Amino acid sequence: MNLKISALEFTRQVKSGNLSAEDFIAKTMERIQNIDGNLHAFLSLNDKAVDQARDIDKKIKSGEKVGECFGMPISIKDNICIKDTKTTCASKMLENFIAPYDATVITKLKQQDAIFVGKVNLDEFAMGLSTEFSAYGPSKNPWNTDYVPGGSSGGSAVSVSAFECVTSLGSDTGGSVRNPASFCSTVGYKPTYGLISRYGLISYANSIEQIGPLTRTVEDAAFMLNLITGLDPNDNTTVNNRDEDYLKDINSGIEGKKIGIIKEMIGEGIDPSVLSATKNAISKLEGLGATCEEISLDMVKYSVAAYYTITATEAGSNLARYDNLRYGYDFSVEGFEFNSYIKKARKKLGPEVTRRMILGGFVPSAGHAGKYFLKALKVKNKLTREINDVFKKFDLLISPTVPVLPFKIGEKINDPVALFLIDINTVTANLTGKPAISIPYAISNGLPIGIQLIANSMDDKLLLQAAYALEKTVVLPEVPI
Amino acid sequence: MVSHEEIQHVAKLMKIELDDPTIYERVDKMISYFDILDSAGVESEEMSFTEIPLSELREDKYIPFNEKLIEKLNYYKGTYVRAPKMI
Repeated sequence: MNLKISALEFTRQVKSGNLSAEDFIAKTMERIQNIDGNLHAFLSLNDKAVDQARDIDKKIKSGEKVGECFGMPISIKDNICIKDTKTTCASKMLENFIAPYDATVITKLKQQDAIFVGKVNLDEFAMGLSTEFSAYGPSKNPWNTDYVPGGSSGGSAVSVSAFECVTSLGSDTGGSVRNPASFCSTVGYKPTYGLISRYGLISYANSIEQIGPLTRTVEDAAFMLNLITGLDPNDNTTVNNRDEDYLKDINSGIEGKKIGIIKEMIGEGIDPSVLSATKNAISKLEGLGATCEEISLDMVKYSVAAYYTITATEAGSNLARYDNLRYGYDFSVEGFEFNSYIKKARKKLGPEVTRRMILGGFVPSAGHAGKYFLKALKVKNKLTREINDVFKKFDLLISPTVPVLPFKIGEKINDPVALFLIDINTVTANLTGKPAISIPYAISNGLPIGIQLIANSMDDKLLLQAAYALEKTVVLPEVPI
Repeated sequence: MVSHEEIQHVAKLMKIELDDPTIYERVDKMISYFDILDSAGVESEEMSFTEIPLSELREDKYIPFNEKLIEKLNYYKGTYVRAPKMI
């Protein structure tokens, strides 16, 4: 059985009766058992997945209405709640937390007969970009297991890339979907802020984070958006997309479109092979009838500092609930003084989370807020104005998703600023609320390179059309696992 | 440059125990990097916020949740939850 098919191909085959959902899910679970010991994409597995698939096959045979996923195997980042299932955020603090409700995206996918094969790894509370900060150990890049898969949605990217599922949901706060997508050669989509409900996503930095799909193809990303976007009364930041069909006309092409090349994202520090791939992608887009021209976003050089200041502040507030009184683990309170109990309980938070909480307490504090937090908000404002001005003249923007190739596990873990700077090309879309996508584009020395396209807010459909056009210009080798 | 005392003060306020000696250096490195914001030239920038009219917010009404959840609490005693004894 071929597990290496797209989501759309899977649904077509199951719908037509050429493929049994039960067989496919059984084979998928078998593959996970066989290879995940090495890759460590999964934190937990759904032991009812095969039974659920059998029920879907029965529904198809009996002519009952079946949802559009037809039993498609999906992995879910372990910071998205699935009712009655462990949701650990890759933290020891939530090691035994059972979610009491479904996230809105999960409700929507359940209605469409998706099957969640398991919960996948991430940096603890999504704070990181390599999964090395997971309390359960890092995931490994299926292209070369000595290398990181990116993060924080590293488990999602690994599971899609290594054919352990057909598609996955991650979350993107500063590139956490696009970065691992680039490192593992999958498609990664960060929608316009508000397009997908965050209800049931465990909060890290609410003002900029979004749930997004990681898929094998751009069409699959459009398919997933069709299923999970829309207004949600449980998330007041959601926007009305008027039931846009993102798959329709996806092959419209990009002839006549104007694309800005972001100067600040192809400058100092970029790996030569990444630069070469980006130039090649620009040529391909021009060959398809687009006009490409260099543009400048002056605030990009401050974006990483602004991003970490804002996210640390929001994280400091959001993680205050992990005090073992509201959320936490089984740890007796008897005999403790109030403050020392909370301090003791919080020792289950990992080192990176602890550092960011300290940062989050420091940068907005009296005497420091003007220097850090307020300035960061102003940079965010100015960057948004700059990018909005650019979008008055351009339809899309292009850059490499990540300026460097995947790096070895442990190589950068002790240099926080070096890790920060890997985010330089992805945080702009989060700070400005714009949709962005990473498209697998090249392989250099056996490691993947992704190209990022960014569109204006609510131009998600145009973005997917452009990404589809670019995707069709490349043929990449298969993952060597 | 952030002093050890400043980090210890924030940690105390946030109820975090600092037992990793490397935390001072790493937090200092991170905050020193944020100093780049000083050269962004955004002092005169106005703050803007997204406004949502009250009419677009969901109705403010009580929606009953699964009441059986309370039974899962470790110290649930049938009619009450026993609060822990603290000094």
